[in-house]
Amino acid sequence: MMNPDTHACPEYRELSRRGFMALTGAGLAAAAIAPACFPRVALAKDYRSSMRDVVIQVYLRGASDGLSMCVPWGDNAYYAARPTLAVPRPDSGQANRCTDLNGFFGLAEPLLPLLPAYQDGKLLIVHATGSHDPSRSHFDAQRFMEVGKPNDPALGTGWLGRHLAGVGPMIQNPLLRGVGIATGLQRTLVGGPQTLPIPNLDTFGLTGFTTSIPSRSSALTSLYTGAAAPLGAAATDTINTIDLLNTIEFAGYVPAGGAVYPSGAFGLALKQSAALIKAQVGVEAIAIDVGGWDTHDQQGNLTGFMAGLMNTLALTLAAFYRDMTTGVAPTFSLVVMSEFGRRVAENGSAGTEHGHGNCMFVMGNCIDGGRVLANWPGLGAGQLFENRDLQVTIDYRDILAEIVSSRMGNPNLASVFPDPAYTPVFRNVLAC
Amino acid sequence: MAERTVVAEAPATPPHEPHVPHEPRLTRRGLIGSAAALAGLWSMATQESAHAAPPAVAADVDPGALLPKLVRRITLGLTPAELTLAQNLGYDGYLEYHLNHAAIPEDANLTTRLSALTTLNMIPLDLFPLQAGQVIGELSEAQLLRAILSKRQLFERMVEFWTDHFNIDITKGDDRYLKTYDDRTVIRPFALDTFPNLLNASARSTAMLYYLDNTGSIAGNANENYARELLELHTLGADGGYTQTDVEQVARCLTGWTMWGRGQGTNTGTFRYDSTRHDTGQKVVLGHVIPARSAAAGIQDGVDVLNILIDHPNTARYLATKMCKWFLSENPPTSVINAVAGVYTATRGDIKAMLREVLKANVVAEAPLKYKRPFHMFVSGLRAVNAQVATTSAIRTQLTGAGHQQFYWPTPDGYPDKVDFWGGFILPRWNFAASMMNSAGSQTNGGINGVTVDHAAFFAGATTADAMADRINTTIFAGELPTAERNRLRDYLLPNAPTTLRQREALGLALSTPSFQWY
Repeated sequence: MMNPDTHACPEYRELSRRGFMALTGAGLAAAAIAPACFPRVALAKDYRSSMRDVVIQVYLRGASDGLSMCVPWGDNAYYAARPTLAVPRPDSGQANRCTDLNGFFGLAEPLLPLLPAYQDGKLLIVHATGSHDPSRSHFDAQRFMEVGKPNDPALGTGWLGRHLAGVGPMIQNPLLRGVGIATGLQRTLVGGPQTLPIPNLDTFGLTGFTTSIPSRSSALTSLYTGAAAPLGAAATDTINTIDLLNTIEFAGYVPAGGAVYPSGAFGLALKQSAALIKAQVGVEAIAIDVGGWDTHDQQGNLTGFMAGLMNTLALTLAAFYRDMTTGVAPTFSLVVMSEFGRRVAENGSAGTEHGHGNCMFVMGNCIDGGRVLANWPGLGAGQLFENRDLQVTIDYRDILAEIVSSRMGNPNLASVFPDPAYTPVFRNVLAC
Repeated sequence: MAERTVVAEAPATPPHEPHVPHEPRLTRRGLIGSAAALAGLWSMATQESAHAAPPAVAADVDPGALLPKLVRRITLGLTPAELTLAQNLGYDGYLEYHLNHAAIPEDANLTTRLSALTTLNMIPLDLFPLQAGQVIGELSEAQLLRAILSKRQLFERMVEFWTDHFNIDITKGDDRYLKTYDDRTVIRPFALDTFPNLLNASARSTAMLYYLDNTGSIAGNANENYARELLELHTLGADGGYTQTDVEQVARCLTGWTMWGRGQGTNTGTFRYDSTRHDTGQKVVLGHVIPARSAAAGIQDGVDVLNILIDHPNTARYLATKMCKWFLSENPPTSVINAVAGVYTATRGDIKAMLREVLKANVVAEAPLKYKRPFHMFVSGLRAVNAQVATTSAIRTQLTGAGHQQFYWPTPDGYPDKVDFWGGFILPRWNFAASMMNSAGSQTNGGINGVTVDHAAFFAGATTADAMADRINTTIFAGELPTAERNRLRDYLLPNAPTTLRQREALGLALSTPSFQWY
């Protein structure tokens, strides 16, 4: 680990850049901003007040069982509904017991790597939250949540895409503002300018004969000039982004603070995201998906399948937290959410069915964390949504809206969440 | 499951009727003749269907001019041979030729290649002991070879359609083996048969029941996973009018629909109705009372449910919409959807009859361009340049990188078919085209192992840059490549007498053009 004070550009100390001086053709535009290490130094001092957060959306595809993550151990109905899957109380002395957070909620054992961020006050857990859309369809629920409006199949752009389209960029002439770490663009980001799906930031380049890459790149640029949407912009953004990402040494990136990202797709995605954010090339929004949460059968939240998913999630988020909060780095807000929670009662195959309310994890430099924000509706008879699920008492958009408004520099919430039936209620999730 | 007798729809356009001169917008040349036109088209395509005009009357359409478009819609990529066939048979004749897929002599090379893939025809008992990698690899190789080589192209397009409709993630446990069995006994036998036959087969597919957890469902606390997707994704659609209670009731009806475990001889891994797991009480599904039955007779509950779903008007609408989206556009006209749904209802789900309605000349004429998914783009590229494919594993690696390896979509909705989703990740398409043209059967020079392209044969007789660009235009684009793109490819071939490398790269660029990404 380098000493950040000895380098003019400390946040990039680990980013050895390759070849940006040698860029040609389309790369010139990229080069104009890619090595902006130098001008950005001036910004670094008052960065946190003068610049916006980079926002990262981590989406748990498949509907995560929030009741196994942030455990309402103080609600006896939880234990009645989950005879085999319930996470034991913190005071139970049992293996796999949860760790108390506030006398009512506890953190599941596989999520304990999140405790440092929580104890630093930078991780907030929101419970009994989600979308008021009643759908228990993964695909409808994801879509409506990602576009930011319940039950509107005609709305095709995502909340984050519209945000990007509605505010000016963080730097002048950015080449890449939004990235989905994916092979297909997440609905959340649809509509964003300079926004691409890129599954691996390190291998994003033209193949074929190296010597002919400039001429082929030039031919492709010409072929796609004026091409129909969305291909024209996609091609331009792609060619520019190839050159841009070539200036960042992802493979050799050394996370700050000795942070170690777990192997696997999610670890790689967040590690590369950290490198990308620290390079300050103008990326403002990143979306990452983590699949596997649709645990109808043999859920294994204590020691099995879901426990493994949770642990990888927590280890990865903890590494990102350490990496991004050691030394000087751009500020970020990271939200972890899922389309809905799972039914309170377990089913007959040691799993859980599609439910409604869930929990969210919100992490960042300015998040007022170290607490569980909830208006807990209870899990007992008469307290459930449609007599089976956790109610939603905090609209997930309330959390996002506050971040959009205060940390992402966008007061136009009606554009980000274009729902006449919705008025954001700020829940005071920010400390700065 | 005898094939249902179908009254063929009267052709929309008698093939020999003299046609009224049509508007330029009805031809692909007109459609893609300029970037501006394309942009306008795109904006049209993204409008809600309420804005779409009803299909033009038959007299507006020149079926002959539509042939390249029809070929592109019902195959995995236009080739000169397919186009010639279409020209010889005419619009309706060509469509009927492909609908009657069983009568099409299969490609001899493909038949030979498939016969070497021994796991394709195995039962689960024999598959289970094998290495999963071999089983998945052979199924994936078969899928690609069929897509590239099969003469039954519309059939393969429908196999692709139903594979997504009844999606199964091949990485999940026993599905590594059972998807092969599902492909052979569910998807392929009924891809152009009837929806009732297909749905009945799928509901007994052990790959499906295992994937969606019905195999573990028991009376008293049923697993809702398969029941929900049966309603939401397979029949009624998410807005199909069912409630959470209906999901729970269907799940109860389907308790006991599971599979034989290992050690059951030839039954191993096949469908089993396990009466001991069945919920014998009365259920109500979508308003239909399903009476209490003995456990032994309880399989009838599930059969009743399937029939209720098959005969539900929302199933007709949902399938019609999805089929129109597959062949026509992301926002197909309501009038066409209604017509196709009407055919579904009238024929009780005859897939061929529905396709005749979807693919009427006047309907196809109005359809905006559709964006190829990566699998489609890759296969159409290989077909366009007559690539010789000795092995598909390196192609599949690139498909994985592009996000579209067959059978690997994790959730039951199947791979998306939307340009919003795929449109941004254009780089793997360019790289596939470039690496394919670097191939001399090996990965030397960044080529694709097992893929060979004979550029000299492709350009035979063409020596100037202009002649080569024209060859690309006629062979790959049926002469409909916009001039600007054609000229850019020509420029890449200048000065005349381009090197082999230059020729090959120009061919790769041809497959990388905007025009080649649409069909």
